[in-house]
Amino acid sequence: MAKRAVKWLYQELPELVAKGILTADSAEKLRKYYGEIKETGKRWALLVIFGVIGAFLIGLGIILLLAHNWEQFSRFSRAIISLLPLLAAQGLAGWVIIKRPQSAAFKEGSAVFLSLMVGASIALISQTYNIPGDTEIFILTWMLLILPVVYLMQVSLPAAIYLIGITSWAGSYSRDPQRAILFWPLAVAALPHFVWALRQEAYKIRGTLLSLAIIICVNCGVSFSLGKAWPGSWVVIFPSLYTIFYAFSQKKFKGVTANWQRSWRALGGLGILALAFSFTYRYIWQGLMSPYYGYENKVSGLAALSDNILTLVIVAMALVLFYDFLRRKDLSNSLFCALPLLGILGYSLRGGNIVLTTLIFNGYLLALSLSRIMLGIRKNNLGEVNAGMLILGLLIILRFFDSNIGFIIKGLVFIIVGIGFLTANIMLARRGGGR
Amino acid sequence: MKKILIINLFFAAAILQIATPLSMIVRRETVLKSGVQFKFKAQPIDPFDAFRGRYVAIRIQGDEISAPQGEYFKYGQNIYAHIRVDETGFAGFSTGSAEKPQGIPYISAKVLYPPEDRQPESKLRLSLPIDRYYMEENIAPAAERVYREHLRTDKQDAYVLVRVKDGFAVIEGLFVGGVPIEEAARASRANAGSK
Repeated sequence: MAKRAVKWLYQELPELVAKGILTADSAEKLRKYYGEIKETGKRWALLVIFGVIGAFLIGLGIILLLAHNWEQFSRFSRAIISLLPLLAAQGLAGWVIIKRPQSAAFKEGSAVFLSLMVGASIALISQTYNIPGDTEIFILTWMLLILPVVYLMQVSLPAAIYLIGITSWAGSYSRDPQRAILFWPLAVAALPHFVWALRQEAYKIRGTLLSLAIIICVNCGVSFSLGKAWPGSWVVIFPSLYTIFYAFSQKKFKGVTANWQRSWRALGGLGILALAFSFTYRYIWQGLMSPYYGYENKVSGLAALSDNILTLVIVAMALVLFYDFLRRKDLSNSLFCALPLLGILGYSLRGGNIVLTTLIFNGYLLALSLSRIMLGIRKNNLGEVNAGMLILGLLIILRFFDSNIGFIIKGLVFIIVGIGFLTANIMLARRGGGR
Repeated sequence: MKKILIINLFFAAAILQIATPLSMIVRRETVLKSGVQFKFKAQPIDPFDAFRGRYVAIRIQGDEISAPQGEYFKYGQNIYAHIRVDETGFAGFSTGSAEKPQGIPYISAKVLYPPEDRQPESKLRLSLPIDRYYMEENIAPAAERVYREHLRTDKQDAYVLVRVKDGFAVIEGLFVGGVPIEEAARASRANAGSK
C-alpha cells in the first residue's frame, strides 16, 4: 500500500474509533498490520542529491583550480601535486566503505568524487608533460579505472558515468566499426550492476535515472557499432531495439504508475512510433537503394562477424518478444512489437515497389491507432483512446501534407479529425467511467 | 568477512588508480633525466582544448619525409622516424622505417598521410608525439603573438627542446629567439602594458 494512503488511514483512525465504526482493538490491529510509516525516503533522496551535487562541485572546482599551469612549482612537484585530489578522494571513499557502508548518500557522493578525480589526475599529468591528445585512450583508461568502484561500493551514478564514457569512446570510433563494436563487451562489464540496481529499486529515482542512461547509451552504442555489415539494416535493428525496450518494460515494470518512471516503455514506444512514421516516407527507402549507401563504413568478412552476430541476437530477441505477446493474445502489445517484422519486410522489398512499402507502414499505423482506440473504448480508458486518436490524427495530417490535395479538402479533413477527437472523448466521458 | 574482502579489493583498485598516473610520471621523468637532447624547429598555433586548459599547438618543421624505399605504409601505422642533426645543430628526420633502427636515434611516431601511389615525389607525413605545449592560460595568447612576430621577421628561430630515449620523446621546453617562450611572452605582455 502506498505510504501516503497509510498516512491518511492513520489520520482517520481516531475519528473512526470515536464514531464507533471501528473498535479501538481493530484500529490497533490495523496499525500493527501496516506498521510504522518510515519517513526516510525523502530525507534519503535529499541527502543523495546534496551529497552528489557537493561532490560534483568540489570535483569541478579542484579541476578548475588546477587546470592552470602553475609555474611556481617544478614540473615534478606539479605532477605529484596532481595526484593529491585523487588520494583525497580515495581516502574519503575508503572511509565511507569502512564507516558508512549503509549510507547510499555517502557512497554515491564519494564515489562520484573519486570517479571525477581519477580522470582529473590523468588529465593533469598529461598537461604537465605535454602528452599528445589521445582522447580515446584517455577516456578508456579513465572508465576502466572507475569500474571496480561501481561494484565495490554498489553505486549507480559512477555506473552511469562509466556508461556515458564508454559510449563517447565508441562514438569517437563511429567510422571504425571494428573498434566501436568493443562497446558491447565494455557495456556487459557493467551489466551485473544494472541488473542489481534495477532489481533493487526500479521505481525510485536511482532506477529511473539509470534506466534513462542505459536506454540512451545503448541506443548510441547500436548506432556506432552495428548495421555496418549490411548497409541499411538499421531499418530492422532499431525497431528491434525499441521493441525490446518496450516489451521489457511491459513484462518487468508492471507496478510502475507515474509516467516519468516508465522510461523504458515511454522511450521504446516513442521510438517505435517515430520509426513507423518515418518509414511511411519514400525517401527512407529510396536512400537504401543507392549503391553508395553506407559504403564508407562498410565492414565485411571476419570483421563483420561480431556485427552480424549481435544484430541477429537483437532481432531474434525482438521477434521472440513479439511472438510471446501474440501467443498470449495480447493484441495491442503484439501490434506495437510487430515493427521489426515489418522492417525486415521493408528491407527485403527495398529493390521493388516503394509505394507498396510505404503503404505497408501506413496500414500498420492505421491498425495500431485503431487497435488502441478499440481497446480504450472496451476498457473505458480515455488515455488509450486519445493515444490512438493522436496516432491516427498525425497519420492523416502527415499524409495530407505530402500529397497534392487542395487546401479546402485539407481543411475539411482537419475539422473532421478534430470532431472525431471531441466526440470520442465526450462519448466516453458520458459513459462515466472515463479515467 | 565480506567487508574485509571489499576493503582489500578497494585498496587494490585504489593502488591501480594511483599507479596509472604515477607510471606516466615515472616514464617521462626517466626520459627527461637520461634521454638525449634534440632541438626541433617548430611552428606553434593556439587552439583551445576545453578540458585540458590552454596549450600552444606545435608542428615540427620537416615532419614530411621521403618514403622509405620498398616499404608500404598506411594511415595510422606505427613508424620509427630516424633523427638526423644538421650542421646548424637542429634536428630533423632523414627517413622512417617499420622496424626499430640500430645505432641511430629515433622517435616512435604514426603515419598521418601515407605517400600517394605511383608518385615518386610524394612524401609521407608523420604524426609526431610532439604536438602541444601547455601554458598558463593568461600568457598563452601572448606566447602565440610572440611567435607570430618571430615568423614575420623571418627569423624562424622557434624550436622545441625534446629529450628522447628508446624512441620515446618528452618535451622539455619551447623556445623563441633563444629564450623560453614563457619569458618571451611575459616580456611582450609587460611591454604592451607599459605603452
